Amino acid sequence: MARTKRVIAAATVGILAASMAACSSDDGSGKGNGGNPSGGAGGGGTVILGTTDKVGSLDPAAAYDLPSWTIIRNTFQKLYRFPEGSTTAVPDAAQKCDFPDPKTYSCTLKPGQTFSDGTPLTAKDVKFSFERMLKINDPNGPAPLLGSMDTVDAPDDNTVVFHLKNADVTFASVVASEVGAIVPSSGKYPLDKLADNSTLLGSGAYKLAKYTPGQQAVFELNDKYKGDIKPANGKFLIQYFTESSALKQAIENGTVDVAVTGLSPTDITDLRGKSSQGIKVIDGIGSTIRFMTFNVKSAPVDNKAVRQAIAQTVDRESMIKQAYNGTVDPLYSLVANGFAGHADAFKDKYGAPSKDKAKAILDAAGVKTPVDLTLWYNPGHYGATTADEYTEIKRQLDASGLFKVNLQTTEWEAYKKSFAAGEYAAWGAGWQPDFPDSDNYIEPFLRPDGTFHVNYDNPAAKALIEKERTSADPAARNAAFAEAQKIAADDVPYIPLWQGKQVAVTRPGVEGVDKTLDVSVLVSFWVISKK
Amino acid sequence: MSQKSGSLGRYFVIRLAMAVPMVLILLTLVFFMLRVAPGDPVTASAGGAKMTAEQIAAKRHAAGFDRPLINQYGEYLGNVVKGDFGTTISDHRKVTDIIVENGGATLTLALAALFVALVVGLPLGLLAGRYRDTGFDVAIRLFGIVTYAAPAFVLGALAQIVFVKKLGWLDDSSLQASPLIQASVPTKSHILIVDAAMAGDWNAVHNIFLHLILPSVTLGLIIVGVFIRMVRVNLIQTLRGDYVEAARARGIREHKVVTKHAFRNALIPVITVIGMQVALLLGGSVLTEKTFSWPGLGNQLINYLNARDYIAVQGIVTFIAVVVIVIGILIDFVNALIDPRVRY
Amino acid sequence: MTSMQTTPPVTTVAPSAARSKGRRFSGPRQTLGLIREAHGIGKFMLWSGIVLSTLFVLTALLAPWISPYDFDTYQDGGERFPKLGEPSGTNTFGTTVQSLDVLSRVIWGARTALEVMVLAVVFSLIVGVLLGLVSGFFGGWLDRILVLIMDTLFAFPYLLLAIVAAFMFQGLPGGGVLTTAIAITVVYIPQYFRVVRASTLSAREAMYVEAARAIGAKPGTIMRRYIFGNVIQSVPVITTVNAADALSTLAGLGFLGFGIQPTEAAEWGYDVSRALTDINADIWWTATFPCVAIVLAILGFTLLGEGLNDVLNPTMRRRKISKVIIPALTKPRTVVTVAAVPAQADAPAAESTETEAEPAAADGAESTETAETAETAGSEQPQEEGK
Repeated sequence: MARTKRVIAAATVGILAASMAACSSDDGSGKGNGGNPSGGAGGGGTVILGTTDKVGSLDPAAAYDLPSWTIIRNTFQKLYRFPEGSTTAVPDAAQKCDFPDPKTYSCTLKPGQTFSDGTPLTAKDVKFSFERMLKINDPNGPAPLLGSMDTVDAPDDNTVVFHLKNADVTFASVVASEVGAIVPSSGKYPLDKLADNSTLLGSGAYKLAKYTPGQQAVFELNDKYKGDIKPANGKFLIQYFTESSALKQAIENGTVDVAVTGLSPTDITDLRGKSSQGIKVIDGIGSTIRFMTFNVKSAPVDNKAVRQAIAQTVDRESMIKQAYNGTVDPLYSLVANGFAGHADAFKDKYGAPSKDKAKAILDAAGVKTPVDLTLWYNPGHYGATTADEYTEIKRQLDASGLFKVNLQTTEWEAYKKSFAAGEYAAWGAGWQPDFPDSDNYIEPFLRPDGTFHVNYDNPAAKALIEKERTSADPAARNAAFAEAQKIAADDVPYIPLWQGKQVAVTRPGVEGVDKTLDVSVLVSFWVISKK
Repeated sequence: MSQKSGSLGRYFVIRLAMAVPMVLILLTLVFFMLRVAPGDPVTASAGGAKMTAEQIAAKRHAAGFDRPLINQYGEYLGNVVKGDFGTTISDHRKVTDIIVENGGATLTLALAALFVALVVGLPLGLLAGRYRDTGFDVAIRLFGIVTYAAPAFVLGALAQIVFVKKLGWLDDSSLQASPLIQASVPTKSHILIVDAAMAGDWNAVHNIFLHLILPSVTLGLIIVGVFIRMVRVNLIQTLRGDYVEAARARGIREHKVVTKHAFRNALIPVITVIGMQVALLLGGSVLTEKTFSWPGLGNQLINYLNARDYIAVQGIVTFIAVVVIVIGILIDFVNALIDPRVRY
Repeated sequence: MTSMQTTPPVTTVAPSAARSKGRRFSGPRQTLGLIREAHGIGKFMLWSGIVLSTLFVLTALLAPWISPYDFDTYQDGGERFPKLGEPSGTNTFGTTVQSLDVLSRVIWGARTALEVMVLAVVFSLIVGVLLGLVSGFFGGWLDRILVLIMDTLFAFPYLLLAIVAAFMFQGLPGGGVLTTAIAITVVYIPQYFRVVRASTLSAREAMYVEAARAIGAKPGTIMRRYIFGNVIQSVPVITTVNAADALSTLAGLGFLGFGIQPTEAAEWGYDVSRALTDINADIWWTATFPCVAIVLAILGFTLLGEGLNDVLNPTMRRRKISKVIIPALTKPRTVVTVAAVPAQADAPAAESTETEAEPAAADGAESTETAETAETAGSEQPQEEGK
């Protein structure tokens, strides 16, 4: 079964949310904020992070969205983990893992580790966690990521052995993602059903002290934690907002110390002008991508020339300037910038936007212009700014004289159903990788019967996917990725438009936020400090 | 208004019995309306995940969507009677938990708004009625009409611009309390201000109170027009009553006539008005909560509607409607207590 | 907004039903007469309501001619409008985040609002009046079930009901305008139903209807020829009040994102929700103008309704002739004015009478008559005493 994943789930968040790449990243700190009478708890290094995220689940078996994964990242250990700012996994609960053969992945645990309630963490718990994930197989959960796993054994307290259905080098990355969170096998987590919704018991650097869904999550340091992470704060608080405007106000008046997801481009532009008040806007990279999608069996985009002409016409830079105030980066490949093997395939092929070249492509194929095109987009799921984005694209295509675009939108559920059923010829969509590997930008898109139902089936692309998935040699894999990106730029089942940048806004005295704005787009609480 | 029986107990029983079919109809309407709506709750609540056919089937099964509608309906009714509104599809929360955890915020807001509406509306209504057709009356009536005409989000936006941005008085007007304050209050009743008071943390109570001002004034102003109107009309009509005439005829001063005799009688129907405002209050709270990022039921409802989480929507909507009906009964009962004519 | 919208109707039913006894269709002329006679604040409200609503309707109708641009125009003469540009010569009210002209959006928004409002009012009028007539005329189980359903809908927070209905009807072929109009219709049917049913009940017992029945007129004929004419007179006041509420519900739905899709038409509520983020950045024009438009449009119809109510409602009406001057002993100059008509028809009373009637109806078949009498009692009383 092919691996499937959530398409930018996090973007659903606030009504105004969106424009930015997805996930929350920052935070704010606690004391001495204007307007915060210092009551109760608090204390020195408390950091308060404001976001418009909505947490799906605290149970790793059902958590498959960025806000939930952010919490899991900080409260659970995995066998390996991706440190902040890195796409290379390092040991976490495991001392060492490797592939003794291509279909076996074997790990040795560090001794003497415990969960935050003091129960020892053993190989049995690891086995339990993975088996539980597959057993529950929650439809909202990340179990599909473990598609290539067959069975898991725990021959002794410190050894875990995974048996895979087929050779898959990306399995090591999967295990290091949040799907690999280790839960205790005794007690709070039943094998066959989800835990109560406010239960959280892990062995990570933090533990959940108080949780009010949709309002607030309070994290304290886990004094039983034995790992390498050295938290720079004493307490971490996430405050969930429902309105982006309220979040903007909160960061301005110091109610929160760091704000991330959900600020609109207008908010960010405005906040950039407030540096005199000590408010800093920090730009980080992101891994969310947005693209136009074509059903290659549906008129008029069943004609490759039409798709190529659109790719030739769209002016990403201008659209980004108009709709996003430059808060995102143009993207010229399916693989996001910053990932191994990324190549600007669309730029190489099409160069600067040109309506003459586009006209030539259409003329050569004998296509009558203007081409009528119905283009769908969804602001409910991808954020209100998506409306501005697709309005811009329509304007560009119309202005070329080669297309007549009819812009359509509908509610997300109907949208998803319709594009899956092949009712749309052209529509907007987005993607957030589950683990930092270029494979995750290629395989879901270019395999036959891909995630986005574009009816695209190219044997050459399929062979390249097979090749990169079975090779352990980075150079060989990158070559395969480059080739696949070229094929995508030529066949144009997708037109990559932009890549999200994480943007965090901080108050004076807050440090370290830049370190957490990495491709995982999950906030690492421990790097943020507050004076 | 038959005078067959004046028994308060009997009245209460009848009134209660009458509410049963109403609640039943309501449950039925909500259930079927949401089932008829387009979109599949199972795939919708999975966000963007592309689920396998087995997963979808499993989920449908878990949620009971694969069984005949009538069975689901029966089971739903049975569960509601037991006080079980189900578990949300999108984030695995028990609907009763949502009601407990977020209902407190809505309750606080609604009561505070009602208080604002009473404090502002009653005196203004009495003034307007007392000085009918004077400049006072005109100004007060227009005030009532304008606040009524302005949607909650317009008033909310205005309040934010004036009090927060321009005057800088209440610098954080959203949320129930400052994050650290909220974190420090031990959760007992799930009503933040009550919890803070129970913990004896007056600093927190103060902070929560400050946060409550703008949202409650906004929501309160929405219904204040109704109060002004009612009180004014009642006073005018009371002033025409026989006994008022009689009092006048006895030579009692006009001022005394009004304050002693008319005011009291003009205010009695206000209880009924309060009852009728509950629906308006809860409806208006959806917009107010959204405008102020207030973590109440209205805001949750919007979130779950967007996620197409039928279980959650069904539960929250049913709960709100039952609250409206129950309050209606209570109001009628209080009315019957006060006014013996209102009985069967 | 329950009580605001219900009370005027309930109050007005009675007089019109009474007046019309035996004098079919004399109502409208009398109404106009009363409007002409209006004075004081009633007159002021009525006329400012008329002016504002006329302005709104004209703006909506003339949108193509008076609007400088289309609602989705982002450039003029090849020159692109600025993004979030301040009010200027080219864009009188500034531009939005999509470089659209705010003034044009406001003007076209009036058209959208009018479309939805008219559809919603017409739909709820048709359905509400029909159901009310049938229910009131035939009575029995049908009546009881309908009353129960309508009362339940009535108890429902109106915006919630509209949201749920908007969801239910999503994806209708007519597009967002039709969907929204239907959602609003669902909310307002119960009001027409209640009022029309109540006046049907009272008209049904009238002598001339009895007479018609006695000479063998078919129910359809009776309803059409004798009752409809009476009943319909009670509708105008609710209609204006409902028009105001339809506008407010439309804006609320748009604000919450459940209304008309932004690509279809300009809609004020949606524009305000998009503009919230601008307010924080000190960009005032994108939110202010649609907000003002919403308030003025709703205000217009509310004033109209209130004014009409003031003028038409006998219990609130003052007649100059009926001034009674009571010389108070200590303060000889105090002038107290009392209108001629006694007070029983005031809204809360009518409201509570209706509530009382319900348990009786639920009580069993035998008490149906009692229930109806009780229900109509509230409206009949004032007529009797007013004569």
